[in-house]
Amino acid sequence: MTLEEWMPVFALMISLVASVGIFALPETGYVRRTSVNLGAAVLKLVVVIVMVWGVFHGVNYGVSFTMLPGVTFVLRADALSMMFAGLSAVLWLLTTIYAVGYLEDSPNRRRFFGFFSLCVASTMGIALAGNLFTFFLFYEILTLSTYPLVVHRGTEKALRAGRTYLIYTLTGGAVLLLAIAWLHSLVGDLSFRDGGHLVDADPDIHRSLILIFILLVAGLGVKAALFPLHGWLPQAMVAPAPVSALLHAVAVVKAGAFGIVRVVYDVYGVEASSDLGLLAPLSWLAAFTILYASTRAIWQVDLKRRLAFSTISQVSYIILGIALAGPLAAVGGLVHLLHQGIMKITLFFCAGNYAETLGIHRIDEMDGAGQRMPGTSLAFTIGAFGMIGAPPLAGFITKWVMGSGALAVNMDWVILVLVGSSLLNAVYFLPIIHRLWFRKGKETWPEERTWGRLETSPWLLWPPLLTAMMVVVSGVFASSQFSPLAWAELIVLREISE
Amino acid sequence: MTFPEPILALVAVCLPLLYPAMALRSDWRRVMRYILPVLPLPALLLASCGDPSWQLELPWLLNGGLWALDDLRRLFLLLTAVLWTVAGVYAVGYLAESHIRRFCVCWGLTLAGNLGLTVAVDIGSFYSFFALMTFAGYGLIVHEGTDEAHYAGRVYMAMAVLGEMSILAGLLLAASAADSQLLTDLPAALAQAQQRDLIIALLIAGFGVKAGLPLLHFWLPLAHPVAPTPASAVLSGAMIKAGLLGWLVTLPFGEIGLSGWGALMVAAGAVGALGAAILGVLQHRPKAVLAYSSISQMGLMVLMVGAALADPERAPVLFSVIGLYALHHGLAKGSLFLSAGVSLPASRMGQTMIWILIALPGLSLAGLPFTSGALAKLAMKAGLAEDSLSFALAGCLPPLMTAGAIATLLLVLRYLWTLSAKLETGQTPPMLTAGWLAAVAASLIAFWWMPWDLAGLVKAPVWLPAPYQIWALVWPMLIALALAGLAVLLCRNSRSAALGAKPH
Repeated sequence: MTLEEWMPVFALMISLVASVGIFALPETGYVRRTSVNLGAAVLKLVVVIVMVWGVFHGVNYGVSFTMLPGVTFVLRADALSMMFAGLSAVLWLLTTIYAVGYLEDSPNRRRFFGFFSLCVASTMGIALAGNLFTFFLFYEILTLSTYPLVVHRGTEKALRAGRTYLIYTLTGGAVLLLAIAWLHSLVGDLSFRDGGHLVDADPDIHRSLILIFILLVAGLGVKAALFPLHGWLPQAMVAPAPVSALLHAVAVVKAGAFGIVRVVYDVYGVEASSDLGLLAPLSWLAAFTILYASTRAIWQVDLKRRLAFSTISQVSYIILGIALAGPLAAVGGLVHLLHQGIMKITLFFCAGNYAETLGIHRIDEMDGAGQRMPGTSLAFTIGAFGMIGAPPLAGFITKWVMGSGALAVNMDWVILVLVGSSLLNAVYFLPIIHRLWFRKGKETWPEERTWGRLETSPWLLWPPLLTAMMVVVSGVFASSQFSPLAWAELIVLREISE
Repeated sequence: MTFPEPILALVAVCLPLLYPAMALRSDWRRVMRYILPVLPLPALLLASCGDPSWQLELPWLLNGGLWALDDLRRLFLLLTAVLWTVAGVYAVGYLAESHIRRFCVCWGLTLAGNLGLTVAVDIGSFYSFFALMTFAGYGLIVHEGTDEAHYAGRVYMAMAVLGEMSILAGLLLAASAADSQLLTDLPAALAQAQQRDLIIALLIAGFGVKAGLPLLHFWLPLAHPVAPTPASAVLSGAMIKAGLLGWLVTLPFGEIGLSGWGALMVAAGAVGALGAAILGVLQHRPKAVLAYSSISQMGLMVLMVGAALADPERAPVLFSVIGLYALHHGLAKGSLFLSAGVSLPASRMGQTMIWILIALPGLSLAGLPFTSGALAKLAMKAGLAEDSLSFALAGCLPPLMTAGAIATLLLVLRYLWTLSAKLETGQTPPMLTAGWLAAVAASLIAFWWMPWDLAGLVKAPVWLPAPYQIWALVWPMLIALALAGLAVLLCRNSRSAALGAKPH
């Protein structure tokens, strides 16, 4: 095998091996476990950066072998893969740092970090999967590896949330499998390809293709939390903060959204999806989800629950961008894959900091927390303004590009959705920011821990500050060569040039 | 000027933008306040000395950045820089110790936004700076932390967010119609755009929130009285003008005659100029009176905006007058706001001096001869002269301007009246006095050296109006004085009547 064939395997194996290693170490091997964890995360980041560089310069990374007659296992890196893989690698490193600080002295850390690495390995598999079968394989491993993380605390509430999570995702997985098998029986094994496969599909199977598309979107829509399949997500926020952060920013919801992008772009092809009349209803569903979830978020009093509804809304931006079927709108959707990731992980890190340091869980307890935890609150403020879409932050770039893209394909109604969503985001984020900085705090916090001169443990403080900085940088420098926006443009350019 | 202007522009914007980072070290807190007056200085240098024909390309910024100055932007930059400088000096003496770090952070960010939007030529950075100013300005308004301040902040924020959204939608549609990311391409494209009226409506309403357009003004009289005085000065003098600038750089002036929109704006301006005066004289707090006075003054500027929208031939001339008027009003209003915080000296002589200095910028607003207000009023009169405009409502403009002048002086008198009940004798911190005096000096003296452009509307020497012009300026003031005297008499009578009617 050549290096080009080995690289995707490396990228996948690093987290997998780390996972096995962590399970092999004893529960008390704190230093060794942390070294394995951080070492693997850094190594993977390096491998992914090398691959990003390679893909940018047109190197074809890929490997495939036949499992069964007609069923092949394909790992392949294209520009879209690397966007998701890059997000996963960067945020894995930061989340690991965060989780080490967050879970200090808590029980069952071996189990936690083992499954955590497994979960990251499966996101890598999802990113690099070269066909629907491979994608499905990792998609299901993801479900199984995140379940122990969701129920990590072992409380009644956590177990209940875990049960709901499993019911939703396993059902979704079954539907997805059905759709993939059906599609396979109609047109054979479909590896992902820029431009898709089904432009010239036989008119006789059009009806079946439409049904299969609906099933695929339904199966993937569970993880992407599309209305009305989003019920599990607000419950799953009982998980520890680093898990929520990862779930909401990279792993689960993004896997669903990423899958829908793959189906529309690389299986059906934008042209075919559009000709079959599939994209317009998808865009309406996404638009409705955006507005519905934002409206629901307003009434949540629990910080993490409010953030969860915000995730449901924001992830649908990605799907909306894709469903508008114009290149510029697609850039807006794809870039949000990264933008939403860094913004939302910032917010969840901060929510975790408030909970761990001050015992704050509810929004009405946050009065004056800016004075006590300025760094965390600064990061939260930046993340929240990004979500609102305030310029010059990352969220604004998404909105601007997607809005321009929608106008370019004469979908003016999308502007209303974007503006409405921004308004709703302002309604549920601005009061929190007001509380943080402009209200007087109570004398005591619900459950305060102190770290000397620092506002909280540095393990907890630096990750949100770094991601908040990324939110600023990827907005302000959007037109530079290596911004998320530039990469999203590269993806779309390669998709449509086929 | 040997210093390269583009670098100066970058410094001018980045200095206040990065200054809040000082708050990260808690032991720098004491120093932060003394830096406030320094922050706008590079911008002041840029606006007053530099050659205005520079360009700064920042291709990596947002959707591709371009910063530059032209004559109009230069006036707004100058106004912004001068006002923030004097208000910064004032703030050093004014601020109390509590939450000073938070105030300084918000001050720096608001200033960065306000300066940045005057030099931004690409849509992305213009909108970014505008939003930065809007959101950071919230921190200045609610700084005192009273219930009233929080209420004002809430109203401000609600209206500002609606305004921002309206601007966002308008700019998105306009940029898409122009297929460009530069503000300079918008007016021409807007004139031809399919959705022209929708876009214009969105932009007028969006920027109108900042500019205090009637019905979009509610936040103004709430926010200005509760904000710390130096913040009120910049809110009313400079930030309110950002809305005006927003109109001037986006709407299709000089491209196409929009008589419908022109008439609407003239109507809105008239309602603003006169309606605000009626509400304003009923206020009891000096800064609330001034807030209404700002709405009223903006109303006069909106009149000119309306006329410029309706008459493309006249638009360039009116632009000069609007710029001049904005500069004059910003400086005078800033001085008036700052005077709300001074204390009177013990001596009779000193008190008279202080009152004269408090009153002069106000009288300048009303068009007192030999002040910037006289020049602004005369230029406006010439700019809106009936026979020079091809516009159905042109006949209404001269009487409206006269009524506006009367309204202006009435509000100023009301301000002085309410202030006289409030000012006490005592010590004023020296920096506070210095800031206020600098503002008055800028309004009354430095104004004459500033680079305003008259477009030949008023004959030279401009500081010496001809006798007929003096009469034109003075008679509305006499009417206002008579009205004010009448009101005082009536009040006295009704009060003594009420006292007399009381059962003993």
